Amino acid sequence: MKEINLDCLGEACPIPLMKTEKKMEEMAVGDVIIVAIDHSCAMKNIPEWARKQGHNVEIEEVDDGEWEIIIEKTK
Amino acid sequence: MNEFWLKLGKNKIYNTLLKEPLTYIAGAVLLSIFQIAHLSVFNSGWGVTGTFANWGAWLYKLVGGDASSWSYFASESAQKTLSSGFMNDGGSIRNLGIIVGALVATLFASQFKFKKIKSWRQVIAAVLGGLLMGYGARLAGGCNIGALFTSIASLSLSGFVFGGFLLVGAFLGSKLLVKYFM
Repeated sequence: MKEINLDCLGEACPIPLMKTEKKMEEMAVGDVIIVAIDHSCAMKNIPEWARKQGHNVEIEEVDDGEWEIIIEKTK
Repeated sequence: MNEFWLKLGKNKIYNTLLKEPLTYIAGAVLLSIFQIAHLSVFNSGWGVTGTFANWGAWLYKLVGGDASSWSYFASESAQKTLSSGFMNDGGSIRNLGIIVGALVATLFASQFKFKKIKSWRQVIAAVLGGLLMGYGARLAGGCNIGALFTSIASLSLSGFVFGGFLLVGAFLGSKLLVKYFM
């Protein structure tokens, strides 16, 4: 059960999603990744992709225009 | 006062209307309705980048240049637009509305943020990308609004051709993105 931080602040779509996909390939089942984003479309496409894959997803609004997407790898 | 804002932040109607993103379908329907309204009110399709050429000409004038003699602006209507100025150009007001509207929407959603620039690579890519898009849009006679969205909505074949090449460009662009930003 590792916890991985991925800093995508200042990165525009689709880079946050691509980086998340890549990072999650290396993770083991049960690991959690916390993706920091400040591009609102990443708040839509990352959770959408992760839920479609069957992972557990939570979004937290950290600050004005800043979010953390927390994904638990389930398979 | 503080309590009012905290309460508003939890209000369901506020969140649905002003904070949470619309679904893709809702966005598509609204865009369609507005572009039909645009066509019926102004008798011309919606476009964005044609106006930027006028902005460029006016900026050039500010630094002492004269673009109005260029063949691009040779037509009578283009000459009239250039000479009557920003505030009398409907396209300029419309683009200003898009920019101000986007700003107001992020402020309403309390999502406004100055993003830090992460690397010089981003700056170079943004400047190069902007120049290529602007130049390409003028050569193609429109951008993804005027030459794609409005054209397809008018059942023009050119819109589909533009769309095909847009996909080619997007494919090459995403390859470059992976190469330089991943």
